[in-house]
Amino acid sequence: MAARALTKGLCRFRPALSGQHFVTASSVSLPQTQQDDVSDQILKLPLEKPDFFRVSELFSLKDLFDARVHLGHKNTCRHRLMEPYLYGCRLDHDIIDLDQTMEHLQLALNFTAHVAYRGGVILFVSRRRQFCHLVETTAKECGEYAHTRYWKGGLLTNADIQLGQWVRLPDLIIFLSTLNNVFQQHVAVRDAAKMNIPTVAVVDSNCNPSLVTYPVPGNDDTPVAMELYCRLFKMTINRGKDKRKQMELLRGLSAPSESR
Amino acid sequence: MAALCRLRFCVRSSYSSIRTSFSSDSADRPRSGFAAAFEQQTELRREAESSSAGLSGASSGQNESFGSLLRRSAFIQMGPAKDRVVVGRIFHVVQDDLYIDFGGKFHCVCRRPESGGEKLQRGSRVRLRLQDLELTARFLGAKTDTTLLEARAVLLGPMESRDSRDPRTGTETHIERSASGTACCSV
Repeated sequence: MAARALTKGLCRFRPALSGQHFVTASSVSLPQTQQDDVSDQILKLPLEKPDFFRVSELFSLKDLFDARVHLGHKNTCRHRLMEPYLYGCRLDHDIIDLDQTMEHLQLALNFTAHVAYRGGVILFVSRRRQFCHLVETTAKECGEYAHTRYWKGGLLTNADIQLGQWVRLPDLIIFLSTLNNVFQQHVAVRDAAKMNIPTVAVVDSNCNPSLVTYPVPGNDDTPVAMELYCRLFKMTINRGKDKRKQMELLRGLSAPSESR
Repeated sequence: MAALCRLRFCVRSSYSSIRTSFSSDSADRPRSGFAAAFEQQTELRREAESSSAGLSGASSGQNESFGSLLRRSAFIQMGPAKDRVVVGRIFHVVQDDLYIDFGGKFHCVCRRPESGGEKLQRGSRVRLRLQDLELTARFLGAKTDTTLLEARAVLLGPMESRDSRDPRTGTETHIERSASGTACCSV
């Protein structure tokens, strides 16, 4: 019991974790309360199915194609590590393979939905001035956060000093463009990797996908494509949150009857 | 014997006679040579028409692979972008600069022309002659090209209202032949 209390206390202390508690071997034999049982079930149920939130219904190949997601930069701007994600090159213009994009986007949206389901803090980052307003309104509409301005040096790595003690860092960072205004990789990609924060990023043919947890190869320069991504992320996050509310209502109604 | 005469008659004479001979024939009489080929082709054409009419546009589009969508897209069919005439739409105006989107990855920025410039506002469709789909250049000492994130095109003028709407796709797909005979397309 002491070990269990210590684990629970430690988990609440660390700001990075999002309400998840670890069940150690010694605590399995201890009697669990009904509340813990219900919350365990709420957290474990979505992990049993591969596409619990049915995010693959939100988009189709035709939608991606019509939003010009397959158009990449010129082959002279290509990043070496993006070559596996390219379908080919047409008259010096790279074409991104939408079949691979479909798979990666489904994984990324599924992960985002799970994070939103577990009450995680999601941060949208993009340094493209053309889409700054779009990203900020997207974050507002799904109740999450956005950072589309100049990124100060130690925002994630030096957060204790710069933002105050016990600041809760984001549990997921979504990059709608990994490059900053001078075509270098955004500092937050490296910093998120340093702080063990998973990232979802739309990587164009001139971006470096190596530090990103869930890269989504696709066009990040056309307004139609950006609107599509913002809409998809907003819908998945709202789906995850609504599902959580629904599960809590259902289990909340059934738990008191079980305890009797 | 009768079949042979009919066949020779079909080959030499006009199309109307072929049609009358076929309509008079019963289905169980065996065909050969030209008659058999003609019947097979009409059957195939009828089947193709019925299948395309039966399938709705949305379901057939969803079964298409990325490769076939790409092959039929305007970007591939257009070929080299140099000196292609396309139709674009103005989506932003900053005093004399018109930001025009023509369906490519980037937009282009053109200056408002002196004559007839007041008619061009946000949402108006214009004709452009493309020069480059993306302006890039390799500078000394750089590993990759620097890109301007813009296309370059020459503004030809406002779009004349003689385009046709494609009912299947719902978008304005418009192919026209310019005076020099080059095919131009717009998305």
